Amino acid sequence: MKICVTGIGIISALGRGREATYASLLSEKSNIAPLRHFKTIHSDLLSAEVRETNEELIALMGGDIKEPTTRTSLLGMVALDQAYKEAEIEENRPESIAFISGTTVGGMDKSEQYYRDFLDNNSRNEYIATHDCGTCSEMTAERYGKFDIMTTISTACSSAANAVILGANLLKTGRVKMAIVGGSECITKFHLNGFNTLRILDKEPCRPFDATRAGLNLGEGAAYLVLESEESALERGVVPQCILAGYANACDAHHQTASSDDGDGAYRAMNGALCSASLRPADIDYINAHGTGTVNNDLSEGIAISRLFAGHIPQVSSTKAFTGHTTSASGSVEAVISILAIEHNFLPVNLRFKERIEGLSFSPVTNAHQKVAINNVMTNSFGFGGNDSSLIFSRYKKG
Amino acid sequence: MGVFIQSSAQISIQEPLCNNYVTKPVLHDEPYVRAIECDYKAFIDPISARRMGKILKRAIAVSVTALKASNVTMPDAVITGTGLGCIENTEKFLSAMTMEGEEFLQPAFFINSTHNTISSQVAIYLKCHGYNNTYSHRGISFESALMDAFMQFETGSAASALVGGDDEMTPGYFALLDKLNYWKKSAGGPGAMAGETAVAFVLSNEVSPVELSGVEILFKPTADEMNRRLTAMCERRGISIGDIDAIFVGRSGDVDGDRIYDAFCGKFFPDREQFTWKKLFGESFTSPAMGMYVADELLRSDRKPLLKHVLVYNHFQNKDHSLILLSKC
Repeated sequence: MKICVTGIGIISALGRGREATYASLLSEKSNIAPLRHFKTIHSDLLSAEVRETNEELIALMGGDIKEPTTRTSLLGMVALDQAYKEAEIEENRPESIAFISGTTVGGMDKSEQYYRDFLDNNSRNEYIATHDCGTCSEMTAERYGKFDIMTTISTACSSAANAVILGANLLKTGRVKMAIVGGSECITKFHLNGFNTLRILDKEPCRPFDATRAGLNLGEGAAYLVLESEESALERGVVPQCILAGYANACDAHHQTASSDDGDGAYRAMNGALCSASLRPADIDYINAHGTGTVNNDLSEGIAISRLFAGHIPQVSSTKAFTGHTTSASGSVEAVISILAIEHNFLPVNLRFKERIEGLSFSPVTNAHQKVAINNVMTNSFGFGGNDSSLIFSRYKKG
Repeated sequence: MGVFIQSSAQISIQEPLCNNYVTKPVLHDEPYVRAIECDYKAFIDPISARRMGKILKRAIAVSVTALKASNVTMPDAVITGTGLGCIENTEKFLSAMTMEGEEFLQPAFFINSTHNTISSQVAIYLKCHGYNNTYSHRGISFESALMDAFMQFETGSAASALVGGDDEMTPGYFALLDKLNYWKKSAGGPGAMAGETAVAFVLSNEVSPVELSGVEILFKPTADEMNRRLTAMCERRGISIGDIDAIFVGRSGDVDGDRIYDAFCGKFFPDREQFTWKKLFGESFTSPAMGMYVADELLRSDRKPLLKHVLVYNHFQNKDHSLILLSKC
């Protein structure tokens, strides 16, 4: 089955929607800045927050969203709304739709804000119910009508990529005619502090794949893709934007928070995706790497890329220097960026790269204005516990 | 294609890693009971065990026990469902951050707070590089994991899978959910009795006494949709709804929730035998894993020799519904 992408939606520090995202990537302007949306003793830490406050996000959605809600759900709604409209679902609704979302933080933004109230009084009890991941997905999607299947994946930073894989399998096994897949995650004090205790937050703007890299900056955002078979897209009169050509997930099975030296899990995921797409390493034009900017990830991922693509290393960049690490949403945020790369035949640069990592055979993209043909893009998402997923998007050709 | 249950293991508020609940059930009348722990020394070295939350230790113990009882040594996939994830460590980190401030936080609680710590710790323990996934969606977390596993077989991606359902219930989280009236305050009133769940199943395509014939998750289904999905699931297995011999119903004693089960059974299975499991095992987000465990055990036993096809039906707040179809081979 040829699985087509017929709609995309995105919100991140780069802005809202495909145009803003593309323009921001082309302009090569960093969106990394000190934290604004919540109080923390680490407010000097840099991050890539979505510009809008919760109130502004609610206003964008027409103002009729009632509390209790969570920032993860609000970001999700903004992205879902775009994808939903692009795929013309309202106009021509297929007979069955799945909504699969990835998140790990879920409603933690409100839980951490009201935790004392939860314990001491009954003034914020409604936010106890919005804490879990599944509730956030339901709040994101419910206003869009009937979903036949709805579930939530929580595999930390590979969550949204795994949602894409599940969606594809739901289509292939005939369970639904359409799958809306992706993820949403807001920055919380909880995971900001968590990453901080792991000492993997860079105090400077992050520098993925640079020899001087010193960690990641957290980002937030949401992105969703509408997946359906070519047959379904043509039947509904919607033009496929590209195809999901292949995908794989594998486990590094090495350490809860660190990647193995040789990037075993990453290698397996990328190789599995190539096999599933029936493509050779030389067919990949561009890899949107996981590239968090941590010392460990970029070396491990770089080694895995060097091994798998030996002799044919494609253009590689991490766009996390723009978006920050949008954690559970990064798989779909970067899937959207990969789709834009195909659509515009452009290579997103690896911002702030200066010096190649010792031991790696490649340097990432630094020139966005090259004349290139981008037909096959691989995008990587690696989560805690060595949960490694790789997706391949390819240019759509009819038939 | 067939997906067969090779083995299973459980840790819950009944005696652990055995089926003593059948003949010597542990009876509870308190709304909050913790699981009966097994001896983890047999599975995890004490130094590692000290760093692990209860949910992780239980998940490893049931996974290893189930694998040992099967022909599968290295599963092609490890998939877990957990409604709340590692809530004990989440609470510890959240509580330290809220009460003591952001200055002195320790990474261990954070590292072990992430939902997919369960699937990844099991994979690290087994050195399993296969497909690894984690579902966290309220009362259908386990069934989502099971559906994913089922599709891994359908698409030919896996020939074996280790599927788990895990939820711990800390005193703190019990108290929070109590504020939302999850738990029973008086006999006959609303709310359920809480339980804790750690169940692992080894599935493979090798024929065994019990087949996993289908699994469906539904979101706010109407009666018509329930009928359509139930019929379709049966048809894919080559049977009709009328061929289902018994229903394992997720009745929890919560009067409001139980009305949904009454309506379902009344509409689709008015004259079929009904079984329940939550009276013995309590309610948890992944309690349906326990329902499947109990149904599988009964099909394997000789206590109900006439049962051929059984359905496990559960719902969560009448929003998330699930169907698991098991067949005796």
